[in-house]
This record gives sequence, C-alpha cells and structure tokens, in this order.
Amino acid sequence: MIARIARAIVTVIVLVVVLLPIYWMVSSSLKPNREITQDGTLYPHAPSFDNYTHLFSEKQFGHFFLNSVGVTAISVALALAAGSLGAYAIARFRLRFGLERWIGLALLTLRIVPPVVILIPIYLLMLRLSLLDTWLGLIITYTAINITFCVWMMESFFREIPLDLEEAAMVDGDSRLTAFRRIVLPLAAPGLAATAIFAVIVTFNEFLFALVLTATPRAMTMPRGTATLIGRIDTDWASMSAAGVVGALPIVIFALLVQRHLVRGLTMGAVK
Amino acid sequence: MTASALPIRRERLQGAGLDAALPYLLLAPAVLIVLAVLIYPLYDGLRASTAFYRYGKPLRDVGFDNYIKLWSDPEFLNSLWVTVSFVTLSVAIETVLGLLLALFCAREFRGIRLLRTVLIIPMVITPVVVAIVFRLIYASDAGMLTAFSEALGGQPVQILGNPLTAFSGLVALDVWEWTPLLFLIILAGLQSLPVEPFEAARVDGAGAWRTFIDHTLPMLRPVLAVAIVLRTIDAFGTFDQVFVLTGGGPGQSTLLLSIFGYNTAFKFQQTGYAAALFVTMGVIVLALALAAVRLLKRVEAA
Repeated sequence: MIARIARAIVTVIVLVVVLLPIYWMVSSSLKPNREITQDGTLYPHAPSFDNYTHLFSEKQFGHFFLNSVGVTAISVALALAAGSLGAYAIARFRLRFGLERWIGLALLTLRIVPPVVILIPIYLLMLRLSLLDTWLGLIITYTAINITFCVWMMESFFREIPLDLEEAAMVDGDSRLTAFRRIVLPLAAPGLAATAIFAVIVTFNEFLFALVLTATPRAMTMPRGTATLIGRIDTDWASMSAAGVVGALPIVIFALLVQRHLVRGLTMGAVK
Repeated sequence: MTASALPIRRERLQGAGLDAALPYLLLAPAVLIVLAVLIYPLYDGLRASTAFYRYGKPLRDVGFDNYIKLWSDPEFLNSLWVTVSFVTLSVAIETVLGLLLALFCAREFRGIRLLRTVLIIPMVITPVVVAIVFRLIYASDAGMLTAFSEALGGQPVQILGNPLTAFSGLVALDVWEWTPLLFLIILAGLQSLPVEPFEAARVDGAGAWRTFIDHTLPMLRPVLAVAIVLRTIDAFGTFDQVFVLTGGGPGQSTLLLSIFGYNTAFKFQQTGYAAALFVTMGVIVLALALAAVRLLKRVEAA
C-alpha cells in the first residue's frame, strides 16, 4: 500500500516537472503580450491563435518548415544509403591493412569530437564553394555528420544477423549484393528504422551549423529561424512562445509516433 | 581477338576482381564524403589555428602563438572553468536522478508507460526550443516563476540577471532536458541484469539497501560508466541552449567554451585564435574519452 502511494506521488511529481514548463509555453502562446507581462495569468483568459497566424503570415515560418523538412529528408536518406553500405562492408569483410578497423576507429573519433570543432573550417569550405545560405551546403554537412552515426549503428545491427543466412542464399546462386538486398536488408529493417529516426531528430533539431551556414529564409531551418526571431524581438514573449511551439511540435509528434524504435536507438549503444 | 574470349574474361573479373573490390566500393561513398566534409575541415582547422587572420583572410603563419596566448587568456581560462563545472554538475545530478528514477521504475506498475512516453519529450524537443521554454520560466516580467510567486503574494523572481542563479538556471535546464536519457539507459541496464543474485539475496534476508550496494551497483557499473561518458562528451559541446538562454552572460558566468569560441570567430573575427581554441577543446574531449575507455577496460577486467 505504502509502495503504491509512493509510486503515485513520484509519478505525479515527474509528470508535473516535465509537463508544467511545456504547458507554460503553450499557454503563453495563446495569450496577447499584455496578458503575459502585466496580468501574469496562469492560463489564457481569452485564448487566440493570433500569435501563430502572425508567425506564418509575417515571419516566414512556412519557409523555415519546408527548408527543415527538405534538408532533413534528403540528408538522412543519403547518409542512410551510404552509411549502410559502408557498415555492411565493415561488418562482413576483412580489408587490406585492417582498413575496416581504422575506418571504424576514425568514425568513432569523429563522433566524439564536439561538432563545434569543425565549425570554422566548414564555414570557410562552404564560403569557398559559394554554398552559404543554400540547401546544398546544409545537406552536404548534415549528410557527412549523419554518416558517422549511421555506419556505427548499422554495423552493430548487421553483426547481429547470422552469416549462415547470406551464405545459404549465395550457395543458391545469389550474388553478394543480391543476398544483401534479399536477405540482409529486410532483417536489418528495424535497425534501419531506429537509425533513420534518430538521425531525423538530430538533423531536424540541428542549430549550430544552420546558424553559420544560413542567413536568409531561403535556407534557414526551423531552429535557425526561431532563434533569429528571438534575437530581434527580445520581449515579444507571445511570438516567442508561439515560435517555440511551432518549432518543436513536428519533431515531438514524430518522436511520439515512433517511440518504440526511438528508445532502442537511444539506449542500444550503452547497454551492449 | 575472338568474340568468345570476352564472356570468359568478364566472368573472371566478376569472380576475382569485382568481388575483391566489392567491400571497397561499398565503403567508397561514405569514406569519400567523410574525408571531404569532416576530415579535410579538421585538418584545415588545424592549419587555421597556426595563422593570424584579418578580415577572414590568413595573413601570416604564427606557429603555436595562438595556443600559447590561449593558456594565459583569463577569458579562456574562465570559459574552461565554467564549462567543466557546468558539465560536472549537470552530469552528476542527471546520473543520480536518472538512477533513482530507474530503480523506482524497475518493477512494472500502472503508469510506467505514460511516464516513459512523457520522459521522451524533453530529449527530442529542439534544444533551441528548450531554451525558449526556460526563458519563459525565468523571465522576471513574464516568467512562470514570477507568475506563481505573485499568485502566492510574493515578489517577481530574478534568475538570468545574476551570475550564480543564471548558471544554476542553465544547469537546471540541462538536468530537465537530459535526465530522461540517463534514466532510459540505466533502466535498460537494470532490466538486462540476471535475476538469480537478487533472489539469492532475498533468500539470505538482505535488505533493499544492502542488495543495492552488494549486487545492483556493481553489476550496473559498466552501463553507468558508459552512460556517464556519453553524456559528458555531449555536454562538453553544449551550444544551442546557452546561445538562446543567456548568450553566455550575465558577465561571463555561463560563457561555455563553445559560445566563447563562436563569439571569437564570428563576432570578433579572430579566426585563427578561435580555431586554436576549438582544436584545444577537441583534444580535451578526446583525452577525456580515451581516459574513460582505459578506465572502463580496467573496470570490466576487474
């Protein structure tokens, strides 16, 4: 009995701590500025969506959203394709000079180094290639960053698949690549899903590179656009909270829809 | 030149040459992209760190001057200190809270699925938006703390105007955002532990605390260590949240290395100096990771 009450209490506390801040942002986004700063109401007394319509009509949040979706989809797809092939090679072949081990080590090192370390050279690179403020500049950067992660995740998924299955297929006359396509890929599908989901979330949320690589709504992504808005309207709390809701909603909905795969992706590296 | 020789040759090519080349071909796209977009810039950053820049152009080679200057620059030393204390404090709190919560959830009960679902939200929300959430909590005129304080008849609450409270506010943000990750990892670790030692302990009449110290904690150590290392490495690179929440202020109380480096490069245009700072930061994190791996191996061997 006591244990059950204690559980209920802790559960409620955790829920409140996590949800109350989010409630406050959503609630503020439905208030006019005067109600936020002067009345300090605990809930919107006359809720309206004016703050939201303002974002899309005046602040080009439609552009930001499309840029984010486009850049994320393309770079995750590319990274997943290149990364899975590479991971398969590392998981299944012995290369000359132990190359597969060196590549694995290099990719791991790249994942450890904070991304901010290559911020300046990436900026200089895109400047030289005239790719600042373009989708392509972002796509190239995100694809590379995602590849390191995709190879690392997919390699461990491929290793879980027993070799016998491929060998049986190859004895039956499949080429290596056909066996990969017919046998290995379907078995690795849950792994591909977990990897893709994780990459989508990280890419959609990315801010640092978007900050230095984009400058106008032509290429600005959602987090970048949101941060710019905040910089300009320091105390326009109403727009700020609406921007926060719009900025986070797509990815939160996505994450909750694919929850099961997500938890696997988040925790797998650590528990093995 | 006979036509019939051709198919045989192609077959041999497929049999030996192409098959031997296959893994290299599979690796090529990934390796080439990473070389061009990550490794080359890394090398480029190293080169930039030994140059003196003016107006975005390298003027002259200055050798290790940027690095030497770094270690006598009080702003850098302060940033390093702020970063180390931010990382240590945040990760320590997150680990303890995550562990407590995971132990609490180890046994199935009603509501646990709701709890796990809700705990995903802070981790996946865009970090920039997390910072907005906390600005809306801390703002002295519009914030949640002030609103609640005034509703209870108190004064407006000031958080981001004072160095100590601003720093604590930043730690609180990080704890809110990342405790769920530690929780999920540790919970997964707990659920993968064998049951026999716990049954034996119960038969022996060991209390909950003794069982935790004697069995749970030692068996959980590898998972805990990996979780802490992962989170520490990640926390070192924290940028977005500080950029939006405080911009490094007030004063330099929340000026993490990443923000300091960003300002140096893009606000003050000291490209070479900033490059040296980032290289130093990368080396520190790599050294930490390497030390952690060594330690982990010894833990596993023992």
